[in-house]
Amino acid sequence: MNSLKDLFHPRGIAVVGASKDPTKIGHIILKNIVEYGYKGGIYPVNPTVSEVMGLKSYPAVSTISDKVDVVVVSVPNVKVLDVIDDAGKAGVKHAVVIASGFKEVGNIELENELVRRARRYGMRVLGPNIFGYVYTPERLNATFGPRDVIPGNVAFITQSGALGIALMGSTILEGIGISAIVSVGNKSDIDDADLLEFFDEDPNTSVVLIYMEGVSDGKRFVNVASKISMRKPVVVIKSGRTEAGARAAASHTGSLAGNVLLYETAFKQGGVLSAKSVEEAFDFVKTLSWNPLPHGERVVVITNGGGAGVQASDTLADDGIHLEKPPQDFVEEVKKIVPPFASLANPVDLTGMAPEDWYYRSVKLAVQNPEIDAVLILYCHTALTSPVGVAKAVSKAIEEAGVSKPVSVAIIGGMEAYEAIRYLTSIRIPAYPTPERAAHALAAQLKYRRYREYLMKKEHLINKSS
Amino acid sequence: MRSPLLQGVIKLVEPRQILERARSEGRLKLLEHESLKLCELYGLPVAKYGLATSEEEAVTLANDIGFPVVLKVVSPDISHKSDVGGVILGIKSSEEVRRAYNAIVSNVFTRAPGSRISGVLVQKMAQQDLEVIVGGIRDKVFGPVVMFGLGGIFVEVLKDVSFRVAPLTEADVDDMIREIKGYRVLEGYRGSPPRDLESLKKIILGLATMISDLSEIEAVDLNPVILYPQGKGALIVDARIILGG
Repeated sequence: MNSLKDLFHPRGIAVVGASKDPTKIGHIILKNIVEYGYKGGIYPVNPTVSEVMGLKSYPAVSTISDKVDVVVVSVPNVKVLDVIDDAGKAGVKHAVVIASGFKEVGNIELENELVRRARRYGMRVLGPNIFGYVYTPERLNATFGPRDVIPGNVAFITQSGALGIALMGSTILEGIGISAIVSVGNKSDIDDADLLEFFDEDPNTSVVLIYMEGVSDGKRFVNVASKISMRKPVVVIKSGRTEAGARAAASHTGSLAGNVLLYETAFKQGGVLSAKSVEEAFDFVKTLSWNPLPHGERVVVITNGGGAGVQASDTLADDGIHLEKPPQDFVEEVKKIVPPFASLANPVDLTGMAPEDWYYRSVKLAVQNPEIDAVLILYCHTALTSPVGVAKAVSKAIEEAGVSKPVSVAIIGGMEAYEAIRYLTSIRIPAYPTPERAAHALAAQLKYRRYREYLMKKEHLINKSS
Repeated sequence: MRSPLLQGVIKLVEPRQILERARSEGRLKLLEHESLKLCELYGLPVAKYGLATSEEEAVTLANDIGFPVVLKVVSPDISHKSDVGGVILGIKSSEEVRRAYNAIVSNVFTRAPGSRISGVLVQKMAQQDLEVIVGGIRDKVFGPVVMFGLGGIFVEVLKDVSFRVAPLTEADVDDMIREIKGYRVLEGYRGSPPRDLESLKKIILGLATMISDLSEIEAVDLNPVILYPQGKGALIVDARIILGG
């Protein structure tokens, strides 16, 4: 059994430092836990009051008679060790240490002592210096971030606090469904690799997104990442890509082995998709979590404008995906729809006069065709059609096709285009405002497919030789 | 052919002896013959060599190895041997060996006075061909990491190299060889033949094993490795091994 199971499926959760003051972090965390709908036992711990938010308040964790698996520690750093002792003796399995003032400010000894103390009781530590964690399958939001996280299948691990909370809000805005959000902070004990091992086994998670400043055990990260990546894609935003990497080195190899380069290597080896920006990462997460895994790399691009088609083809080519002629039977069928001057090489140009119905018919044909692995749909807003109308035609085609296939949509235009994108993302069809972003997000899925095959081939070689 | 070391009959005694000796003498860089010996122990192909501590010994070694040979000073105090006249190339006869041996000793004596001389390395002069670099470092985050690139301008100016975190499978090595931008050079182009990639793979894998086995090693440069056309193998000409402080 995974050692983090009780962290994500706790029978009861105590919040030490749960205050009546609504501006205090301890209060906000308790409020989020209650209001997001956690069904297990909720125990505020605060010796100075008898109740918080209508819940009985306890003077110490050890005075709670019910089972408590997680203690959220929201007290000043100097009081944390006492809480650990108290909770440890009470048999609590996980300490979620919100408090800051540890390694991040040079207080290394206090952090080491925190971990030593917790280990003595067999307790694992998340944090310190974090905003908490979320696990939507248990309706658990133990953070001081936004409350109404959308349930879904993406697990988000973040080393950054402020950016992490902000991105938590962005997932709501972007319509990205979340299984878990874990603020890892100083990673004194629980780190990315531990969490990847849990999410690998977690049936509620199918994609993992990490915002990473760095790891302490790179070898273990590569090892664990390459295991989960055979089943679930992992996307990483690694901060500090431009950091001066070269070290003063006595060897040639050492002088070339910059930090950034080694992380890139490690990601590649672990099958991890590296995203340069938050925007790119979210774009990837949408195709990866909403689309099925592609069976091959035969992409067909359907567009109503040549320019958008070229932008998309160039982006795909940069990503190593080269468009081939579409299957003949598909072309024959599309010919019956479009005017004779339409170009039916790849991209398939329905022409600027294409009404919603042409999108509906051609997208449906493409999704149904067994010789096509993925469909990229581009629409430039014209006077003849409405973006929302085209979006609906596209979604209807996908729904009625009877087969599930990776798709990515670009709706290019103004405010109405934006509404059409919102509509598509609300029904989990990845949609973007530019042809490049739609193409690049689809390419990420194909890249993941390559990584996965490579990892499986490697595992096969290792199994064969052992 | 895989060396016995790579086949899992791990005999770390001899490699450790080399490292311990260096350490006991306070050296953080192995002497060239020690580095080459370590490579040999890991089944890596090195240009034939021997360490001479006298003119007579140099002549005998040169005749055993076969001409042409190169002579290089071996000293814990000299890192840029050529700069002090410590390297003489293209030696074709016993007589030239004697002259070179004495020239090196006297060059070092005048241009790097006070330097200790451990001996003079007599090494088979490898036939010139495509040069590549294979390296390894122990990174504090990722542990043993290996590097591969084409020699000369490719590595010096373009930094066209690829890395992998050990342990490696053959699939990883295949991938890292193909990853460099200059890969076409290895495939053969404009009448230049395709290269012996099997030999290259064995060197990379062997180095990964070496640096994983021996935690004392901080960095390794095998530079250059001469990579011959397919079926003709590869030869390590120069090996630099640095130990952790």
